Amino acid sequence: MKTLKKLLGVALAAAMVMALAACGGGGNSTPSGSGNSGGASGKPVKAMLYTNVMSLDTNLATDGDSFEVIADCIDGLTQMDADGAAVPAIAESWDIENDGTLYTFHLRDDANWSNGTPVTANDFVFAWQRGVLGNEEYGYMFSDIGQIKNAQAIMDGTADVTTLGVTAKDDKTLVVELEVPVSYFESLMYFPTFYPINQEFYEGLEEGTYGTSPDTYLSNGAFVLTDYLPGTASLSLKKNDGYYDAAKVSLSGIEYQVVGSSDNALSAFKNGSLDIVMVNGDQVSAAETDAATKDNIKVTGAGYMWYLSFSQTANNANGYLANANLRLAITNALDREALVDNYVKDGSLATYTCVPPQFAASSTTGEDFSADQTRFADVCSFDAAKAQDYLKKAQEELGVNDFKFTIIYGNNEGDEVAKVAQAIQQQIQDTLPGVTIELSNMTKAERLDKMQNDNYEIALTRWGPDYADPMTYLGMWITNNANNYGFWSNAEYDQLIADCTTGAYVTDYDARWNAMYDAETLVMNEAVIAPLYTKANANIIASNVTGVEFHPVALNRVYKNCIVQ
Amino acid sequence: MAKYILKRLGLAILTIFIITLVLFILVRIMPGNPFPSERMSAEQIAAKRLEMGLDDPIVVQFINYIKNIFVNGSFGKGSSLYNGVPIKSVLPACISNSFRIGGMAILFGTIVGLILGICAALNKNHFLDVFCTVISIIGVCVPSYVFMIYLQYFFSYKITIFPFYFDKNQFLLSAVLPAISLSLFSIATIARFTRNEMVEVMDSDYVLLAQAKGMHGAPLITKHILRNALIPIVTVLAPLIVDLLTGALVVEKIYGINGIGKLMVDAIAGEGIDYNYVLALGIIYSALYTAVMLVVDVVYGLLDPRIRVTAKRG
Amino acid sequence: MSKKRIPFLNAAPVTEPAYIPTDEDFVFKENNDISIDKNFASQGYWKGVLVRFFKKKRPTLGLIIVLVIIILALFGPLISGYGNTEIISANVDGRQVTASSISPRVPWIHKLFTGEEYDDPFADHTFIFGTDTVGRDLFTRTCNGARISLLIAFVTIIIDMIIGMSYGLISGYFGGVADATMQRFVEIIYSVPRLVIVSVLATFMPKGVWLVIVALLLTEWIGMSKISRAEMMRMKDQECILASRTLGAKNGRIIFRDVLPNTIGPIITQVMFSIPTAIFTEAFLSFVGVGIVLPQCSVGSLIEDGFNNITTIPYQIIPPIIILALLMLGFNFIGDGLREALSPSIEDM
Repeated sequence: MKTLKKLLGVALAAAMVMALAACGGGGNSTPSGSGNSGGASGKPVKAMLYTNVMSLDTNLATDGDSFEVIADCIDGLTQMDADGAAVPAIAESWDIENDGTLYTFHLRDDANWSNGTPVTANDFVFAWQRGVLGNEEYGYMFSDIGQIKNAQAIMDGTADVTTLGVTAKDDKTLVVELEVPVSYFESLMYFPTFYPINQEFYEGLEEGTYGTSPDTYLSNGAFVLTDYLPGTASLSLKKNDGYYDAAKVSLSGIEYQVVGSSDNALSAFKNGSLDIVMVNGDQVSAAETDAATKDNIKVTGAGYMWYLSFSQTANNANGYLANANLRLAITNALDREALVDNYVKDGSLATYTCVPPQFAASSTTGEDFSADQTRFADVCSFDAAKAQDYLKKAQEELGVNDFKFTIIYGNNEGDEVAKVAQAIQQQIQDTLPGVTIELSNMTKAERLDKMQNDNYEIALTRWGPDYADPMTYLGMWITNNANNYGFWSNAEYDQLIADCTTGAYVTDYDARWNAMYDAETLVMNEAVIAPLYTKANANIIASNVTGVEFHPVALNRVYKNCIVQ
Repeated sequence: MAKYILKRLGLAILTIFIITLVLFILVRIMPGNPFPSERMSAEQIAAKRLEMGLDDPIVVQFINYIKNIFVNGSFGKGSSLYNGVPIKSVLPACISNSFRIGGMAILFGTIVGLILGICAALNKNHFLDVFCTVISIIGVCVPSYVFMIYLQYFFSYKITIFPFYFDKNQFLLSAVLPAISLSLFSIATIARFTRNEMVEVMDSDYVLLAQAKGMHGAPLITKHILRNALIPIVTVLAPLIVDLLTGALVVEKIYGINGIGKLMVDAIAGEGIDYNYVLALGIIYSALYTAVMLVVDVVYGLLDPRIRVTAKRG
Repeated sequence: MSKKRIPFLNAAPVTEPAYIPTDEDFVFKENNDISIDKNFASQGYWKGVLVRFFKKKRPTLGLIIVLVIIILALFGPLISGYGNTEIISANVDGRQVTASSISPRVPWIHKLFTGEEYDDPFADHTFIFGTDTVGRDLFTRTCNGARISLLIAFVTIIIDMIIGMSYGLISGYFGGVADATMQRFVEIIYSVPRLVIVSVLATFMPKGVWLVIVALLLTEWIGMSKISRAEMMRMKDQECILASRTLGAKNGRIIFRDVLPNTIGPIITQVMFSIPTAIFTEAFLSFVGVGIVLPQCSVGSLIEDGFNNITTIPYQIIPPIIILALLMLGFNFIGDGLREALSPSIEDM
């Protein structure tokens, strides 16, 4: 995993530098005009959160809801515009030198923390050093993805934290040195891990209390925290009048409510208690037939793909699943359209590729990597006859007629998961005589534990993209990768991925793009996994609320430009 | 009596200590990972385990844990739940919410339950009795969260009397619906037990004797019947109190209450398993239960002098 | 009695042939009924219980309700014609459409009242309770769920009663150190959160119904033991027990023969409340993934499923709740009847 991430960072950096250099080179453009009327006389928006906000500490947060609230309060060097591109925020401009390994960010003079002190370059230096030292779940953003100089060495304990490649030249100039060029570095800067923390304020707090209440949290962004406690079911923010861009913020605040059930969320929406809610498939069906809600449904991509992972070691299921024909039989027995039409029902897309659509577009053509979902129709589509043929081959090869597998799935990963598991069970058993499927539910943590220890047969699992490149998926299936839960190994595949990350294709964007298709073909032809669907979120938004920006990666919802009429 | 209570207090502390030990061991056997992550490397997780001392022998871990409680007054910090935040900055608000709402539910449940039960017993086999039976059956058959959603639907949605979600700025108003829905099971249980116990006591010889002596009405009911009937009721009340005070997962989730019921489930079945939260909540739970049982035993003595005598002897 | 010879009649030697009494001489000449005291007839204890039980309407009604539900649980799925885990689907224009979330329908009744047929692929299907969100017949699942829930409830309640009552009675009877120790043990078991016990248990046992039963057994007996201990404390210094002890009864006899029958009242009441608790606990256990293994179901899990869509698909939660309520009503009536039949008061005589 470690090495992969490293290779990958290098490769991405090298491969994309040319592509993005055209748009980079010092972002002097102003944030795209959103036509806000401005003024602080607006209303607050009432939004639903799906889970509790686990942490407001940029170093400790790991979930989308936490990231969302952090981004409401704190601006990074750049921010995310409606299309997901990076536009200036605390940094009003930046220079890129040394072939993209040296960034000099010029911070704006009017950016202040909510206690009145100005935002300085040192706030970033402090926050990043702290992040690298802490090395929490998203610590690899500094090292593998961000390629900040010496980040990996500091994490390994071989270098001092002061050698981290980020320095404050003066109060308003931040210099960042990278190990290798990272073409998408500007868009990384809006990821919360890279947000600043006011050192003086932080050090004045009792240990462990940063970000646990409005008093222990400083904003430099559009909103300030007014009511929050870790674990609280409701939290509120109000507009930050000291925000440098306050004139563009129309909302007077945001009131978040954690809602436990989708059914309840729909009632809350109809009641006017919430303006923005997210519901599951059953409620979508109900909302579509209800005049009060049918025009307010907005489906947005959630980014992650659900798939079946097959354990291909001899430890499980007698090693039967190492037989590619058996896996192909199963994947051909799955009617993915029926799954999304009848069970998920929230706009999720049936997926026939091992890199899901809608997140990774080519820099040269702008075309989505997985736009064509029919490329693997031969090996992945629903076809009972073909599935039975594959099964027959597998039965001959293995000398076994009856198979029995257990599918594990998490019971706290969404309402539709248990339904999908039951549907898959029925589909496989109906199409493949001789194959018996059992289900076993557990918590997500237990499921991950079993998969990481290779103690499962088939798992219903998901993966969300960390960055916008197909490699975030393809990198999983190289030999010995920690996320290669099937323990599949193919020398040709490993070579292809190595070529794409460090080797021959690094400098040739189109060749790399095609090589990734070749790699994907290897995975699909052997049915290393069985992709199922790419999740979407079904939001219901009140008619008087406009301007909420939804994104499948990094920040799920951005409220800066939201207006409540 | 004072000596008896002191002795029981000592025993209670010993019990809580043993419970902590048992929990400590059980929690470490439980499946799941205190640092669930798909993105952290094995080395990162190992470093975190080291920091939390999870690789020490379990005895050392336990001693450190107890030491930490007594020396620093700290229950540690979260790992999978509210990572890095000290538990003492999360817990008080949750406990306060759950205790206040649970307390209201107990008060309401006990009063209504007793009244219903007494009325039913006095009107045995008549309309009120049947009514009481039906209420009891509904109370135990329909889970509190289903009541919660219907109450919310009718009283916050159809007619807006109460807030749709829990609002700590209007605590009393927004505690009404959860308190009522939580109390229904206790109403049912208490009413049923009161009714049955009273019917039984009313058949007994000494009540007959009391009646023969010319006692009737309220004095007979309170002095003779109720006092005897209350003993088993106190027994069923005790676990009800503990259950209500320690919160109800689904009701808390629906109504957006920041309480310990939800915290417990999140700590066990959330993203991972959070050892420190499970332990801290377990200790609170056991302290509460032991305390309530202590009170119950003392109340037994007050209600029934014969037990008091035995207690003194023992 | 009438056939016995009376010895002294034969013993006396009499010269002239004595009159030898026949059996008929010892039969009452008048109607035999006259000597039978209906009120205080010497009948067996259990026969009396039965008579008293069935003499009243409500216990009988309760028994009928419970029996009907048991029969439904056993044979209901045969009536519906659907499988418990069968996902009903149709093929429309090459796409699979499942019968998910269809409201209750009986085609011929619908036609009778509206004169029309349903306008969907499942027009000719009968779903008495509708279908669930996956597309399975709720009637079949409710029957199957009732079967599993009844099994869980009965097994746990019976074993819990045995363990809990013995424990509580013994603890209460001996008092002192024994009682204190036993009660502290109870406190320890009760204080460990159930979710912790169950997840630890799940590492040693395969998941499924039996794991649920064992998990319930571990904690549910405590309520029962508390009640019987309280009853023992109330009873043990009473005159009847003192009398028994004076007559030389051993501890075992006093506990299980003298006190136990007297605790039956509150125990029955407790059992009534333990049944739904057991059923709901089973559903709750799915939070740590140890409840019923899907696609099987129980009344508790059906209620939870229905709850997820309680306002948008309101009819799904009703059948399991009604089944549960009817079961409880039946059990309550039976319980009341049993209590009164087991310890008859004077007015019942």
